[in-house]
Amino acid sequence: MRLNRILVAVGGTSADEEAVKLACNLAKRSKAEVYVVYIIEVKRSLPLDAVIEPEVEKAEKVLTQAEDIAADRDYEVETDLIQAREAGPAIVDEAMERDVDLILMSITYKKRFGVFSLGRAIPYVLEEAPCRVLLLREPVH
Amino acid sequence: MNVVIMGCGRVGAQLASLLDAEGHKVTVLDIDSHSFRRLPGNFGGTALVGDGTDEEVLRRAGVGEADAFVAVTQGDNRNVMAAQIAKHIFNVPRVVCRIYDPLRKEIYEALGIEAFSPTTIFAQLLKDVLLTT
Amino acid sequence: MYIIIVGGGSVGYYLCKALLREGHEVLVLDKDAKKCEAFEDELGSVCVRGDGCEVSTLTEAGTSRAEVFIAATNEDEDNLVACQVAKYKFGVPRTIARVNDPKNEEIFRKLGVDCPISVTNLILEHIEEKIPTHPLIRLLSMGEEKMEVVEVKILEGATCVGKSIKELSLPSDSILTLLIRNGEKPLVPTGDTVLRANDRIIALTTTESEEALRQELASS
Repeated sequence: MRLNRILVAVGGTSADEEAVKLACNLAKRSKAEVYVVYIIEVKRSLPLDAVIEPEVEKAEKVLTQAEDIAADRDYEVETDLIQAREAGPAIVDEAMERDVDLILMSITYKKRFGVFSLGRAIPYVLEEAPCRVLLLREPVH
Repeated sequence: MNVVIMGCGRVGAQLASLLDAEGHKVTVLDIDSHSFRRLPGNFGGTALVGDGTDEEVLRRAGVGEADAFVAVTQGDNRNVMAAQIAKHIFNVPRVVCRIYDPLRKEIYEALGIEAFSPTTIFAQLLKDVLLTT
Repeated sequence: MYIIIVGGGSVGYYLCKALLREGHEVLVLDKDAKKCEAFEDELGSVCVRGDGCEVSTLTEAGTSRAEVFIAATNEDEDNLVACQVAKYKFGVPRTIARVNDPKNEEIFRKLGVDCPISVTNLILEHIEEKIPTHPLIRLLSMGEEKMEVVEVKILEGATCVGKSIKELSLPSDSILTLLIRNGEKPLVPTGDTVLRANDRIIALTTTESEEALRQELASS
């Protein structure tokens, strides 16, 4: 798999770290560029460009962590904070705009109402993204 | 009393037959003539096929001369629209309607429509039954 | 401007597209999952699935932030209730309802919808506008003298609009006696009076000259 550009979607969970590490490892071989994005989902009760301080703070922390993880591996990543109504379409749009050849996402093992759930964004990206998609699921505790 | 009832479901038919038995003048409206099977054989009122959200149908049903109008179809919005036409266009003195959705019921009560939510009433009733035994 | 549209049928669809093109923030509410999917596929995150009459859906949609609320389903009772909830519960300043049965237009207005729109009535008005009413009406005939009193309405686009009366070549046996202009006190026109669209003129003329008078005042 020859890679030029990789998009990593992080969400502030414990699964982010491994995803960024994996992206750096995959990128190194072909000196691919790595973009790490964090999507803030803005509720309809607020305009899309509303500044939600606690969310922005959390996002910036997550993105700085990603930069640090990459730096530990002597790698430089570009980070971006995006506000959208829904994460799925935002990730796909971003991937297409940056013309990446891989989207890397990660989730923790989570059950909702007793059923394992992927949430909404991941199935959307798997179905709609034009490029390759890699999903990293954390081990069950 | 001259009463027009919109919706000949179980509640509408039961109410119509109770009022009729007490000697009131009753007109029942429903969009489906099949619903009138619920009325008792000795029902002395009028059964009319028509859409109660239609001003013309309400006029034909005699809402203009009615003392009371009751909206009990299955649709909250149909009930609310017909009730408002009866109250504000025909100036019926007493208008009562059923709204299943408790939140919608609150809004229309604030707008001056006398409304009942079976959802709230029945939940409260069940709770009372459970807690008093 | 944030605009909410209830109903993703053809009216809702084309409205949504047009408003997005004008740069507005638009959200469509529809109960049907398939319709919502179609909207998202084509236009992005512009659709929420739900009942546009329900308070919870409207809260999720951020209705209190909306400046315009349009109910465009093909059920009048749903459009009425959606607009009333938006207006009285969420304080939306401008509610617009599609009215399917034309006689509900007046009812909706009485019940608080700011702008009820009946397509049927719109088309009827359009037809009436395009077919001008007869511009010359005979008010009184005086048989013996072969004289008559007529009323002429000056229509938009008539050739005499903007001309003073002395510039017109009126038949010599016709006299313009009174001019009525949008509710003002009627005035006696002079040679310098300039005619405007929608003026009404009461004239005295002979039966033979009636057609010539009509030609001068009513032809376009």
